[in-house]
Amino acid sequence: MSEEEQFNEDEELDLSTLPDDELVQQMHDDLYDGLKEEIEEGTNILLERGWGADKILNDALVEGMRIVGIDFRDGILFVPEVLLAANAMKGGMAILRPLLAETGAPPIGKMVIGTVKGDIHDIGKNLVGMMLEGAGFEVIDLGINNPVENYMDALEEHKPDMLGMSALLTTTMPYMKVVIDELVNRGIRDDYIVLVGGAPLNEEFGKAIGADAYCRDAAVAVETAKALVKEKREKQAEGVAA
Amino acid sequence: MAERKRRGGGRSARQAERQKPKSQTVPYIKRNIPVYNLLNEEGLSLIENNADTILQEIGIDFRGDPEALEILKDAGADVKEERVRFPKGMCQSLIRDTAPKEFIQHARNPERNVVIGGENLVLVPAYGSPFIRNVEEGRRYATIEDFRNFVKLAYLSPELHHSGGTICEPVDLPVNKRHFDMVYTHMRYSDKPFMGSVTAPERAEDTVEMAKILFGADFIDNNTVITSLINANSPMVWDSTMLGAMKAYSRNNQAVVVSPFCISGAMSPVTVAATSSQLYAEALSGMAFAQLVRPGAPVIFGTFSSSMSMQSGAPTFGTPEPQQVLYIVGALARRLGVPFRSGGGLCASKIPDAQAAYEAANTLQHAMLAGVNFMLHTAGWLEGGLAMGYEKFIMDLDQAGMIQAFCNGVDLTENGLGLDAMREIGPGSHFLGSAHTQANFETAFYRSELSDNNSFEQWEAEGALDMAQRAEKKWKSMLESYEMPPIDPAKDEELQEYMERRKNSFPDQNY
Repeated sequence: MSEEEQFNEDEELDLSTLPDDELVQQMHDDLYDGLKEEIEEGTNILLERGWGADKILNDALVEGMRIVGIDFRDGILFVPEVLLAANAMKGGMAILRPLLAETGAPPIGKMVIGTVKGDIHDIGKNLVGMMLEGAGFEVIDLGINNPVENYMDALEEHKPDMLGMSALLTTTMPYMKVVIDELVNRGIRDDYIVLVGGAPLNEEFGKAIGADAYCRDAAVAVETAKALVKEKREKQAEGVAA
Repeated sequence: MAERKRRGGGRSARQAERQKPKSQTVPYIKRNIPVYNLLNEEGLSLIENNADTILQEIGIDFRGDPEALEILKDAGADVKEERVRFPKGMCQSLIRDTAPKEFIQHARNPERNVVIGGENLVLVPAYGSPFIRNVEEGRRYATIEDFRNFVKLAYLSPELHHSGGTICEPVDLPVNKRHFDMVYTHMRYSDKPFMGSVTAPERAEDTVEMAKILFGADFIDNNTVITSLINANSPMVWDSTMLGAMKAYSRNNQAVVVSPFCISGAMSPVTVAATSSQLYAEALSGMAFAQLVRPGAPVIFGTFSSSMSMQSGAPTFGTPEPQQVLYIVGALARRLGVPFRSGGGLCASKIPDAQAAYEAANTLQHAMLAGVNFMLHTAGWLEGGLAMGYEKFIMDLDQAGMIQAFCNGVDLTENGLGLDAMREIGPGSHFLGSAHTQANFETAFYRSELSDNNSFEQWEAEGALDMAQRAEKKWKSMLESYEMPPIDPAKDEELQEYMERRKNSFPDQNY
């Protein structure tokens, strides 16, 4: 069989004919290959079959992106490919998000993110945002050059789980402390997980300014966000139980 | 369960694709970049005239080979005892009349044939070290096992186009018989072209006989399947060993790299122009002699030039002056119309450290720009050639890969110009998701398998390995993955019989 025939035959793959477990497997592959329409189709098929939105989210989408994350970390997948995968994930999320809200299940997490005042560099921050969206997080991007008021207003308006700040310059990174100090002044520091990142930062700097974590790259940002939000949810549950 | 059809192939397909070893993409490099010329016409003419003066007035010694003297005398040279003086222009016209501008060196796998000369660049492993060095064992004498290892590594390296010659000296074997095992190793463990033995005329003959078995006697009379390294004993001497080997190869239409070997200050004057003139004169006399032995036999104009420490007398590498010599001699070779050999990953460092890396990078990059056609010593060289480094070999491969990418030149097609990408993205934003990036990202940049470009934290988490440690992992995994290229069993048997018979026909000797 020629490669072309193989390709055409593959093109005709009908997702609706696959049993659930194979469909989920295929969606992992399709996420990996960044196929947005196929992910949307697979999501709708599973919904029609009576799957809960949270189960689709976890088993098909989040698990698929977890695999993408591993191979990105290991240097097998390239940045443009991960962006395609994240975009496919967003397609599925757009269908699931309203349904998830109806169920009242706690969302995966929400982040307000922005580059700090004086700094106009945003490619790294954008990558973090896209990777977080790819992992199912809702991301509110404030863009570049944000004074402290922008962050405060956005936290008030969107009530996120996390605040993310980015800086590329040694001259702008101290501004992150200004924002964190303001959170402390207002007595709302503990309401948010604060993640910071950018080339001139390190672990020590993150601690010194009172952030919850320094994230060295986009993949680590996703890992850290997942871990800290999980911790936060557990604490919230304990609080309710008490 | 019926096998699921996959469209993109998902993770398993991508992992398989990305993790498979790099395959040889080209048999040799075709240069698509200009050469850099250091001297103008006036400067080059001065050097050429001075070389003529050396040949005419001072002359070159052809020592211990009466036949050579006879040949030169018959051709019109002035021979007094062993000193040979050439009338002005004699050597140049002998070479220009019959020496090929470029030629094919055939490999036993025709896909690995290389074209030597013209716009082409063939990268070849280092040559001649008595010692090896690696991270695990340090420095010790090389053995035939090391020799096999380096032939395997060169075979597995898409960055190298040639199996080389005496990659390291297998000192565990008797001096008068080790050439059999070296030549056989190139023939059997690799399918790339290789270099023959030159340490005695009869060892050169053995190499030719073995090549006849591998390629067929008729084939090798009309085609070149062996390259060999013939060094002048600078200043201005050809000795009987080298002349004997040169005659053996040239008579059989096999290629000789006629290489003056000059450590300036000791073997040539300390200045760049003087060294260049002497190198040129020595090379001219050797190449002209090869043309007299067999008109049309392929020759490569070789040079090995290094500076020296005037405090200690030690040769020094990666320094500016030998690079200047390299540019000048490269230009002379092009004017003469013969292939040019020089360069390599030369350094004086004992270990694969920063000195090794930058001295080697200096030489390799200059050699690329100087238009070298046959780059001996591309990979592995340490300690002025005394040690063949396993880790250094891997480091140099990375440099070789970059040379290949650089020589591709600049893509000026519509895709290369990429205006559509800028139209799509506009000011602000980024190109990581653009259609142009999606279509090109995988091959857009040379990707080092050796350099660590990760964040400090990730590098630390992965063991904080330095380059030598990463290179050690790489060569060990390469050797583990090695599979012998197939060979006709009848030919293999015949080669082994030949070696067995010859080895038994005279006693072992270590001189």
